[in-house]
Amino acid sequence: MAKKPSMGRQKIKIAKIKKKNHLQVTFSKRRSGLFKKASELCTLCGVDIAIVVFSPAGKVFSFGHPNVEYIVDRFVTRNPRPNSNAFQLVETHQSASIRELNLQLTQLLNELEDEKKRGESLDFMRKDSQKRFWWEAAIENLDLNELEQLRDSMEELKKKVANQTNNLLLETKPPRMMNTASSTADIHNFGAYVNGFF
Amino acid sequence: MTRKKVKLAFITNDSARKATFKKRKKGLMKKVSELSTLCGIDACAIIYSPYESQPEVWPNTLGVQRVLAQFKRMPEMEQSKKMVNQESFIRQRIAKASEQLKKQHKENREKEMTEVMYQCLTGKGLQNLIMADLNDLGWILDQNLKEIYKRIESLKKMTPTQVAPPVAPPPPPQVPAATSEMLARGVHGQEQKPAVESGNVEGIQRPQWYTEWMNNPNENLGFGHGDEMMMQFGDNHNAMWSSAFFP
Repeated sequence: MAKKPSMGRQKIKIAKIKKKNHLQVTFSKRRSGLFKKASELCTLCGVDIAIVVFSPAGKVFSFGHPNVEYIVDRFVTRNPRPNSNAFQLVETHQSASIRELNLQLTQLLNELEDEKKRGESLDFMRKDSQKRFWWEAAIENLDLNELEQLRDSMEELKKKVANQTNNLLLETKPPRMMNTASSTADIHNFGAYVNGFF
Repeated sequence: MTRKKVKLAFITNDSARKATFKKRKKGLMKKVSELSTLCGIDACAIIYSPYESQPEVWPNTLGVQRVLAQFKRMPEMEQSKKMVNQESFIRQRIAKASEQLKKQHKENREKEMTEVMYQCLTGKGLQNLIMADLNDLGWILDQNLKEIYKRIESLKKMTPTQVAPPVAPPPPPQVPAATSEMLARGVHGQEQKPAVESGNVEGIQRPQWYTEWMNNPNENLGFGHGDEMMMQFGDNHNAMWSSAFFP
């Protein structure tokens, strides 16, 4: 499941993009990034923001903190910030849950980064092993002889795995009389067990 | 541009907060402008801050009014369909990050089990594996076998009469006889056989250890032998397992 490496950061000309699908993709990515930056600015500096963006297809996307309508109204009516107590209360309540959410997000992003790094080191190990041991090479690089060898070994291992699985199943059962109908039934359930993690 | 990782929380230091605001506001305006130009679309941004009595806007007051008017002309449903605030936006980001994490987790698990599979193929025992590991190992084996069978099919189709003759060992210099050396992770300098074109078996030079191994089915390296094989690797277990897998 190797991912194609992306092109990395390229310097682009700031002029309307010619190709339609390139334009669509750029819009989608940049709009998302823009909202992310706006969201960060709100969190970091505690400011009120609204952004309104029309897509190439004519749909409208908007981001607003505390919300879009509030900012738009404020701008249009040129009102100084309303200071009603109810509003303040709602605001502080929101901030607490936003803080929580940001914490959750940060944690997830850190975990994601860790998993990605783990994936990279596993890839590295794999590439290394592929060079050293012929049977670990990519399947398309093996000849018929080697493939048949590998096939046989894997089939053998598969049997061992089935055996071991059976052993474990038997181990965890409370001791009971052999030759009862139910104990044989349990062994036949092994087939259903093998779907596991994936 | 500094590359320190910034904590996603309100900046309590007043001067730091003001400095950050100035920089990021500038960056944000630039990004809106680029988006508008690159994609040829209408957009606007409004920022209220404690530092200015008037809101800071892009492109300009008139431009903002125009875009807002356009916005308000749309049906209510269209306006709110793609409308987000901090809370909903962060929730969306959380959902996306969760998805990606799940996917990455699964990928890594597959890679991990592939390592286990190769180690088991060369003799590592199954005793330390729990049920979930065994299930996943079985799955990985099935995936690989599927590919192998497919590949064998297609190779056989291409050269139906080809029978691989046994390969004469290359002349010396001697490569040290293999056994556990071959399998220990510290193997260096073992020549890897070159990648083979399908069906072209004769021209291949094999390292001597390979031929020896092929001709000695009773070597403890062979696949498909009984449990006595596992005993042979008693002391080498730790050398063989990568630390990445068993922390």
